[in-house]
Amino acid sequence: MTTTSGDRHAIGVSMKRKEDPRFIRGKGRYLDDIVLPGMLYLALVHSPYPHARILKIDKSAALALPGVKAVITGEDLVAAKLGWLPTFHGYDKQMVLAIGKVLYQYQEVAGVIAESREIAVDAAELVEVEYEPLGPVVDPFEAKLDKIVLRDDREAKTNHIYHWEVGEREATDAALEASEVRIQQRILSPRCHPAPLEPCGAIADMSAATGRLTVYMTSQAPHVHRTAFSLVTGIPEDKIHVISPDVGGGFGNKVPVYPGYVVATVASVILGVPVKWVETRTENLTTTGFARDYHMDVELGATREGKLTALKVSTTADHGAFDAAADPRKYPAGMFGIVSGSYEFPAAFAEVDAYFTNKAPGGIAYRCSFRVTEASYAIERSMDILARKLEMDPAELRSRNFVKKEQFPYATRLGFVYDSGDYEMTMRTTLEKVGYEQLRKEQAEKRARGELMGIGVSTFTEVVGAGPSKHFDILGLKMFDSAEIRIHPTGSGIVRAGTRHQGQGHETTWAQIVGEELGLDPQEILVEEGDTDTAPYGLGTYASRSTPVAGAAIAMAARRIRERARKIAAHLLEASEADVEWKDYAFGVKGVPGKSVTMKEVAFAAYTNLPPDTEPGLEATYYYDPPNMTFPYGTYVAVVDIDPDTGSVDVRRFLAVDDCGNVINPMIVEGQTHGGLTEGYAIAFMQEIKYDESGNNLNTNFTEYLVPTALESPYWETDRTVTPSPHHPLGAKGVGESSNVGSPQAFVNAVMDALAPLGVTHIDMPLTREKIWRAIREAKQ
Amino acid sequence: MNLEFSGQEVIAAPKDRVWSYINDPSSIASCLPDVQDVQVHDAHTFDASVRVAVGPVRGKLKFKILLDPQPDGEHMNMKISGGGFGSVVDLLAGADVKGDGASTTLDWHGTATMRGPVATVGGRVLDAQAKSVISTVFSNVKARLSGATA
Repeated sequence: MTTTSGDRHAIGVSMKRKEDPRFIRGKGRYLDDIVLPGMLYLALVHSPYPHARILKIDKSAALALPGVKAVITGEDLVAAKLGWLPTFHGYDKQMVLAIGKVLYQYQEVAGVIAESREIAVDAAELVEVEYEPLGPVVDPFEAKLDKIVLRDDREAKTNHIYHWEVGEREATDAALEASEVRIQQRILSPRCHPAPLEPCGAIADMSAATGRLTVYMTSQAPHVHRTAFSLVTGIPEDKIHVISPDVGGGFGNKVPVYPGYVVATVASVILGVPVKWVETRTENLTTTGFARDYHMDVELGATREGKLTALKVSTTADHGAFDAAADPRKYPAGMFGIVSGSYEFPAAFAEVDAYFTNKAPGGIAYRCSFRVTEASYAIERSMDILARKLEMDPAELRSRNFVKKEQFPYATRLGFVYDSGDYEMTMRTTLEKVGYEQLRKEQAEKRARGELMGIGVSTFTEVVGAGPSKHFDILGLKMFDSAEIRIHPTGSGIVRAGTRHQGQGHETTWAQIVGEELGLDPQEILVEEGDTDTAPYGLGTYASRSTPVAGAAIAMAARRIRERARKIAAHLLEASEADVEWKDYAFGVKGVPGKSVTMKEVAFAAYTNLPPDTEPGLEATYYYDPPNMTFPYGTYVAVVDIDPDTGSVDVRRFLAVDDCGNVINPMIVEGQTHGGLTEGYAIAFMQEIKYDESGNNLNTNFTEYLVPTALESPYWETDRTVTPSPHHPLGAKGVGESSNVGSPQAFVNAVMDALAPLGVTHIDMPLTREKIWRAIREAKQ
Repeated sequence: MNLEFSGQEVIAAPKDRVWSYINDPSSIASCLPDVQDVQVHDAHTFDASVRVAVGPVRGKLKFKILLDPQPDGEHMNMKISGGGFGSVVDLLAGADVKGDGASTTLDWHGTATMRGPVATVGGRVLDAQAKSVISTVFSNVKARLSGATA
């Protein structure tokens, strides 16, 4: 779908982002830019211990510091019946401030409210907390043994949280047993963190005059947060106003409710003035939602010819101190069932067992649909390990097992119905473009000279766009989304959606959808999100659900407007409504060429010249409940050279070919792909939130948790194939997360391919120079 | 994280003088590097605040220090616990004191447990930093008793 400037298409055009002029001029309005009269500041006191009893909290020295207004502890919140928060899927609860015990290092123990941020931080250091240290459990496999049970607040005296499974265990075991070739590998998707550049924060403003609570917060899901606030505090929902201002990156990190939000709110209610809390980088990395931490035991079976026979995955999930994973209620392991990937399996089974440890809680979907990145990494790494065992080219093994184009819609063994795809076509397109055969020849020559060159392929399938309300909900709220469009008399308009962008470009793409559907200029369509008083109720932006769900709602609301407009157009055209058709972005009369009215003319008439008995105005609302998820996919190829003396990896080429169905704005898609690839590169080579044996978090700032800049990032080549979603009104599938989901395994497969002559089968991410250097050294000894 | 240290100082002073010096909280406190203030509670316990700057971690650590001289007059144990800026440090140090007429040998060893931001920096620079702090204490003891200043 390509267009040239000047034609009237709005979809498929690389329109410059409408939001960028304010961002690149530094005129965005982020949470910390907001200063309210009389505002106080909250700083939190954190535990240095990963597991300890709290013997005593002495507030006196902090309260004595001039400028300090209040010190709040867990016991104070218990007295206010706000000691605990429900977690999103409702199966666990989470302490707001520590009550009796701390369960992870940096856990929030008290809040200090003062006249300035500096006084609050100084006073937080004066809060004296006496602890009795307890033995920490930092390894989920140790947690399994229940020698130390961490959660004495729970009825079940075990660290085991849940068991989840899908597929047929016995049939899969039998198929594996009967397989001619089998591989087995434990694969870790390490604990990492989304680390948005803007950390989390909130300003709570309880107005004594109106009795209304306004909460400005860094929120990816403002309506869900309004409902959660109401449920937790008992304040009626009409008395709560959540505003999510410009958000500087979220990647799933700004979906959960954090203690700082609650303490700021309690403080504002008590003190009657606005209270601001903005976390530091260290607080962001140590206390807010982490991602992954899945230890996956993968088994594949195949024939000698490379036809897959069975897949079994048993996962041990480390959830930290509370089960605060942001998964839909019925899916504690999210959409891990996507682990069968792009392949046909006669038998498959997946199970996940989750455990509490003395680590920060979370398990959020970091730029992926719930647990999809872990699943995709497991299957794509395993396919390469199997290919090596079969002595078969990894692309060839994939080709022999792809779900075929004619099999869609395709029901997998693990519970999904893939909507559309042409995996073979996309892989062939990619391999041709990257010059795969030539690269393999070059590799053979280099191997003969002892040089380490690797080619990694990833042919991933994602599941996004939660979701059909019959399956997916958060806190019981069905995962639909919504849009409201109002067209003004002069043909400009406003669209409001239940989503909240954090850099995705909704202010542009939503306007493009309205422009395309109504033949209006997208430059004159204002997009507004993030204000619960004005936007229709929606579940928010994460899990690549904006375009699949809210984008569909916008298209459907626009079509409702078009239907209303048809009646007015008939009046203007002096024709029967049945004879009026929408063609070439205008209303015309069937069989009468040259006679037409534009939507702009209809909009004016909607306020000035209506047919009799017609309701004035031109607006519509639509709540869209998708019939299915969407299944974007792609083929990524990484080419690496490794310096055997230093373990340094040079990612020489990286080609990402995505298929996200129809594309609304190709430039924005490419930008999103670049961002996700850079994150995938960081996950593969640099990032891990590690804990030492004493429970110390070792990656608490950007000197220890590395974020690549343009300087470190490889040059990204991108392209697309287009297989439209058959059920989405625009044929779109969502793309924001594909590149994070699909890329880590391409990098790791490439490095393992380079190290194959040395007999190295698998190294867990992050593939630091040290790990690679050690693997080379050990292999050579 | 746990760190272990050890070292030796040979002091040109008789054992009795060394022993009484390291039994005196005020004397020991004066040997702590970057010490800011000291409060001596009794013959064996004192509090000390120490300025610390390890990479990005900068601030004041407050310690409670307990001297535990062994009755044989040859072993001194020291328990140091405290913290600051969200970090906790627990240090157990011991010194074997052996006299040889005019000189005395201090064989010292220590184990430190660190938690919080201090530990995060640990992997890179803390080991060397902590070792330097402890060895400075004992080299200061040597310097004071040898008449020189450190």
